Amino acid sequence: MLKRMSYSSFPEDVLEHVFSFVQSDKDRNAISLVCKSWFEIERWCRRRIFVGNCYAVSPRMVIRRFPDVRSVELKGKPHFADFNLVPEGWGGHVYPWIYAMATGYPCLEEIRLKRMVVTDETLELIAKSFKNFKVLVLSSCEGFSTQGLAAIAANCRNLRELDLRESEVEDLSGNWLSHFPDTCTSLVALNIACLGSEVSFSALERLVGRSPNLRTLRLNRAVPLDKLANLLRRAPQLVELGTGAYSSDLRPEVLSNLAGAFSGCKELKGMSGFWDVVPAYLPAIYPVCSGLTSLNLSYASIQSPDLKLVSQCLNLQRLWVLDYIEDSGLEALAASCKDLQELRVFPSEPFGVEPNVSLTEQGLVCVSEGCPKLESVLYFCRRFSNDALVTIARNRPNMTRFRLCIIEPRTPDYLTHQPLDRGFGAIVEHCKDLRRLSLSGLLTDLVFEYIGTYAKKLEMLSVAFAGESDLGLHHVLSGCESLRKLEIRDCPFGDKALLANAAKLETMRSLWMSSCLVSLEACKLLGQKMPRLNVEVIDERGPLDSRPESFPVEKLYIYRSVAGPRFDMPGFVWNMDEDSALRLS
Amino acid sequence: MTYMELQLGLALPNHAISVKGFDLNTYLYEPKDNITSNNPSWNTLGFVFLPTTTNNDAKKRSFDEAFHQVRSVPQTLPLLHWTNLPNDEDDDPKDLDSNSSFSTNKISEEDGVVGWPPIKNLRKIHRQQHHEGRQATAAKNNQTVENGFSMLVKVKMEGVAITRKIDLTLHDSFQSLNTTLTTMFGLFSIAGNQDSNSYKLTYLDKEGDWLIADEDVPWRTFIRTVQRLKLLKSSD
Repeated sequence: MLKRMSYSSFPEDVLEHVFSFVQSDKDRNAISLVCKSWFEIERWCRRRIFVGNCYAVSPRMVIRRFPDVRSVELKGKPHFADFNLVPEGWGGHVYPWIYAMATGYPCLEEIRLKRMVVTDETLELIAKSFKNFKVLVLSSCEGFSTQGLAAIAANCRNLRELDLRESEVEDLSGNWLSHFPDTCTSLVALNIACLGSEVSFSALERLVGRSPNLRTLRLNRAVPLDKLANLLRRAPQLVELGTGAYSSDLRPEVLSNLAGAFSGCKELKGMSGFWDVVPAYLPAIYPVCSGLTSLNLSYASIQSPDLKLVSQCLNLQRLWVLDYIEDSGLEALAASCKDLQELRVFPSEPFGVEPNVSLTEQGLVCVSEGCPKLESVLYFCRRFSNDALVTIARNRPNMTRFRLCIIEPRTPDYLTHQPLDRGFGAIVEHCKDLRRLSLSGLLTDLVFEYIGTYAKKLEMLSVAFAGESDLGLHHVLSGCESLRKLEIRDCPFGDKALLANAAKLETMRSLWMSSCLVSLEACKLLGQKMPRLNVEVIDERGPLDSRPESFPVEKLYIYRSVAGPRFDMPGFVWNMDEDSALRLS
Repeated sequence: MTYMELQLGLALPNHAISVKGFDLNTYLYEPKDNITSNNPSWNTLGFVFLPTTTNNDAKKRSFDEAFHQVRSVPQTLPLLHWTNLPNDEDDDPKDLDSNSSFSTNKISEEDGVVGWPPIKNLRKIHRQQHHEGRQATAAKNNQTVENGFSMLVKVKMEGVAITRKIDLTLHDSFQSLNTTLTTMFGLFSIAGNQDSNSYKLTYLDKEGDWLIADEDVPWRTFIRTVQRLKLLKSSD
């Protein structure tokens, strides 16, 4: 152990104790900047770290600075990877981190990963390296199979959480669940909703039965409805439940059995799943509706009349639903759910040309009027108007996340045929605390002027098929002081805006631009002149020197890094550092 | 577009400013080379890059004039001085006006653009499964393995960047599988023909070998061992 000296008036131990009450990363960072001794004390007692980009720093640097971390959260691929815009094999491998932490952090208890490539080998390394391992959350991760999960189940004796969120797991066998030893009774959360194949049901039943602290259980579609009642009877303490397939041959005893089991679950606050739902079975959950604060029906293809269930959930704070809810359902929601904070409406037929449901801007306007706590929105629909956006902005100045997706790109205001600049302008002007914004519809550079002028707290902005010239991007980069992540696709933004705001990029976590107008020449210049930025050109059309330098690059990902260029770039990614720029020219 | 270096009085931001917000405060990345060694004017005078084609700059409105409001925007280090607007036609060789100019990664997905509308893969898979499930239910009594679970395998086609997924439980023969794949990838035919448009179906078995999937393989054997599918050009 390092011999530590304190020059402050408090003894070191006291300071360390005080610091332990400071949870937020931002505050901890501020503490470490006070003086050298605080910096030293703080770094020794930091137990959790968050790295928003796994390439922004090397594991070695992190371990050297924070020697005794128990919980690590890492993010890998850019957000647009969710929509297939990042080619397969791009990177985001977690293995180097786990490898370094296996020796650096033997007491590590929690690993939370998002959009990372996790191999079975990595999972096996986790399973055998950390003796007191408790929490594994893999969110939108890929690259592993049920074999790796079996290693986790078999070896992590104190496992509390295994959460696979929306990961893509190769299903070799449903038998992996039986690898949890009989002595494993510590589970608090188990989420296997993303798995495709059937899990060993008897193993699941036994595991649930011997986990008295289980609060969250999210099953996959392969768990049939008639098994659900049995599981619920074994775990009446559940707070969050994701059902399996919510259908079965209509038999009255299934319904009554299920209703009975649900009425025993007094703690239930969140529900999801409902795959292949048969509406006739929905009454089974009526006993728990009034207690629900979170309901995810976004995999439940049920039509409007059956969605009146939603209005029975009077304490609902969060609702995810398909557009089958229609305007009428949202109207009912607005009238009954006064605590609603978050609403996501997903499209049931995103690729259809014609609307298949009656869901318009009216539904969202109603909710913005009726639900005073609404602050987070993701809304897919097919038409919108400036007036509706202005109304929503005035109704809900407390909005912090507003993502609107009008499905057909460049759709104008359907009433006036004007761009939607004024409407989104109203959103950024009225919603002073807006942190996340996604734009869609027909938009000119004017909307970006509004954003640069008003959106001072905006942290993440997503733009597609918008703007007219570099001026648009210039407004955003020069105006949005708090911007951390910017993702742009199919916009006529090019070299000028990017180069004119080069230093701004160092204050941001990342910038993604695909199908825009940034030239290879500008990328090289950025890479050479900004050594703390990794400027990566992604181009699957072949070597870069086969095209003129003034030619726009296919995809561009720029992020700040204290680790320098990454080592695992595949053949279609080029880093524009000085060396590669020399090679290319 | 070519750049010319001019010297204007904009200073390089100091460390403290550019590091602000980083989680790590000490281990700063040190550039491989001292920048000043490459460019003596960089550190002392700052720099500005301007397009060489500035012949009609003087006639154009400035940024502030164009937007009739003078705002104080935070000064960020420019590698290019923000000048006239909008984009000069003469230094932008790309045609901006048609949608087709942004066509670099337009690979048809369903009937549109890759990644639009922005819906996660899993959600798309579930949607697809749901539709297929409904179709299977509609065509009742066809003795398929319709017992409520699915068996998803990845399908890749040579020359197509997107990997798709297919639920094998919805099929009971290579014939029906091929029909689905043909539709999924918009192919003319799978296997057999001398036709150059033809593809052959291969699969990865549990031992990790790639084998040809055709009628010579019993369907049940195939179902038990298949891990992945790949469509290869027949000529290969």
